[in-house]
Amino acid sequence: MDLRRVRAQRRTVLSLALTAGSLIVVSGLVAVLEGPIGVPNASSAYLLAVMVSAMAFGTVAGVLAAVGGFLLYDFLFVQPLYTFTVGDPGEWLNLVLLLVGGIVVGQLAAAQRARAQAAVEREREARALFQVSRALATRSAMTGVLGEIAAIILREADLSRVWIGLTRAAGPERILADTGGSETTPAPTASHAVLRRMPGETPAEWVRVHQPGVRRSGAVGLLAHRVVIEAGGRTLGSLWALRDRSAGQPGRPETRLLAASADQIGQALEQDRLAEEARAAEIARQSDALKSALLESVSHDLRTPLATIRAAAGTILDRHLQISDDDRRASADAIDREAEHLNRLVTNLLDLSRIEAGALRADLEPLDLDEVVDPIVERLGDRLAGRTLTMELPRAIPPVLADPVFLDQVVTNLLENAAKYVPAGAAIRLRATAGDGKVRLTVEDSGPGVPAAALPRLFEKFYRVPSAPGRSRPGTGVGLAVVRGLTEAMNGRVAARQSELGGLAIDVDLPIAPAVVAVALAGG
Amino acid sequence: MTSSHNPEAGPTILLVEDDPATREEVGRNLRLHGYRVVEAGDVAEALRCWEIHRPDVVLLDLGLPDRDGLAVVTRIRREASTPILILSARGEEATKVEALERGADDYVTKPFGMAELHARIRAALRRSAGPAADEGGVVRNGAVELDSLAHVVRVAGQPVTLTPHEFQTLAVLLAHPGRLVTRGRLLRAVWGEAYQGEDQYVYVQVSQLRKKLALADPSGSLRDLIVTEPGVGYRIRAPEPT
Repeated sequence: MDLRRVRAQRRTVLSLALTAGSLIVVSGLVAVLEGPIGVPNASSAYLLAVMVSAMAFGTVAGVLAAVGGFLLYDFLFVQPLYTFTVGDPGEWLNLVLLLVGGIVVGQLAAAQRARAQAAVEREREARALFQVSRALATRSAMTGVLGEIAAIILREADLSRVWIGLTRAAGPERILADTGGSETTPAPTASHAVLRRMPGETPAEWVRVHQPGVRRSGAVGLLAHRVVIEAGGRTLGSLWALRDRSAGQPGRPETRLLAASADQIGQALEQDRLAEEARAAEIARQSDALKSALLESVSHDLRTPLATIRAAAGTILDRHLQISDDDRRASADAIDREAEHLNRLVTNLLDLSRIEAGALRADLEPLDLDEVVDPIVERLGDRLAGRTLTMELPRAIPPVLADPVFLDQVVTNLLENAAKYVPAGAAIRLRATAGDGKVRLTVEDSGPGVPAAALPRLFEKFYRVPSAPGRSRPGTGVGLAVVRGLTEAMNGRVAARQSELGGLAIDVDLPIAPAVVAVALAGG
Repeated sequence: MTSSHNPEAGPTILLVEDDPATREEVGRNLRLHGYRVVEAGDVAEALRCWEIHRPDVVLLDLGLPDRDGLAVVTRIRREASTPILILSARGEEATKVEALERGADDYVTKPFGMAELHARIRAALRRSAGPAADEGGVVRNGAVELDSLAHVVRVAGQPVTLTPHEFQTLAVLLAHPGRLVTRGRLLRAVWGEAYQGEDQYVYVQVSQLRKKLALADPSGSLRDLIVTEPGVGYRIRAPEPT
């Protein structure tokens, strides 16, 4: 049998027993008062029994005690005794006064009790709501918190099961929390109650809804109650509660708890949505800023060599000019050199997009560092002009396992980067050391260096070391990102640190070529 | 000097550009076209060159390694109205507007064609000769002719050799025919702010100028061309209507 029904029956029996008991005790008291003590009319003592019953079990028990007291007094103490006949008409007045007084006192006591009970319920409701809002306020993810809320509602309201379903983009509800645990969530029942909420102060009311065509399911004797979760005029889901049919409609406090919880969930979902939108907008803004910064620096870097090329071409093509052979050659050289420079810029940008797409494949082979480095230094000649380049490439350095094209690009970028950011007269050093199964190639300079905080970000795409206000350092933030991408594609590692020369040092670690391959190649 | 032209003949251009290759190529082209070219790679060097050479035109890249190139514009505008052309790879409207607001005269976006650059330099020189100049940038006042494009002064059709300071003094005076030009203004425009109060430079320069002009013109019509306003400055005689 249902636990709830058992509890209600036990309560009825208890209230009857208490009323009867108190009447018997009071009857004894009246007997003593009117007998040995000699009080002429002690009928008002029955009001005691009325108060006790009303306070403990409400109006019905109070009225019952009043009627019982009336009858008992008539039967036991009014002449003729042991009949319900009243001999003296004056006694009628006493009896009627007892009955009326009993009913009034009983009503008052019961009202007091109801108020006390309501206060307890309100306190309980407030506590439950506080728990719900605290759970939402401290949430890290919505899904986890919904289970907590369902548990709170189940604990605080007279319900047998609570579950919460959310809809996404007008789809069907997905149950995200259910106090039923492993039991399957009840399917939408053919008939359930929906809380219809009124604007203003009008209390909400439960309305039965019948859905034809939906199969009847769920436990017999239970009725599902649904509170729609909405925010900003959109339905976001439902808060469902299963309740015993015999317990009747949920009371005011329970209804308020369900409605307020649904409102708070709705507001929290709305907050989450707005926060998500704000985040998405911020990401879009940042990526826009990044794109325009890139466009700005790429266009600067591409336009500068183009300006040189157009100026040189303008000189050669000018029909009004008498140009010496030396001037003509110098301008043609400039065109060639700047075209090569442009080509390297474009290669870097293409490499970067290939690195991003993961489409980079290194063709590894044993390489002697000096054979890679020498042609680069020769090619860069002009760009390094004015800087002292020291090279320390000992003969004993073993060959590295690397891709010749990639390694060329890595060394070119490192030297160009150094030349670009150090003033004329500064020293640049290129050095190789071997050990621990790898060769370390270091390019360092005596330039202004990079603040320690910027070192870890140096290889990030489009990252530019912040410079003093008003200064402008052209650069795309691409060169070093490509260095890292290409080095890692060759199973190497790259790192930046402060150089003992005073400026920036960049270490590129590459694996030493396996001896067998090296020997075989040397032999072949 | 690789140019076949006389490097001292034409107007002086200060070329401020941090990219050595661009500086070299643009400089070569300008020299071949007869300009005197002074090159600078950063703001500090540009300001030094400005003080020493007092160029007729400034070509200025904005992205310089030590400071923003606009600092050069601000400094030059405190002293003179020398034409400033911005050469920049930054193409945004806001950058252009800011440079022009600060006092730059024109804006060329890289990569530019040399023909366009020459046209803009000539236009700037013509404008700097003042409203008295004709469309060829030549100012005439009686027997005197100042050709700002060719950087030549002629008296009765014959070229007169002037020092850069004499040339500029004459140019400033000719640009304001009939109007008073104070000594302070001449000092600032021709020598620079640092010479404030050194009025003797102006006396010497003007007297040299008068002598050279008088010498070149035996008719004596130029003797009272430059009128002294005692204690204030000079005024050049307004040309007679032709």
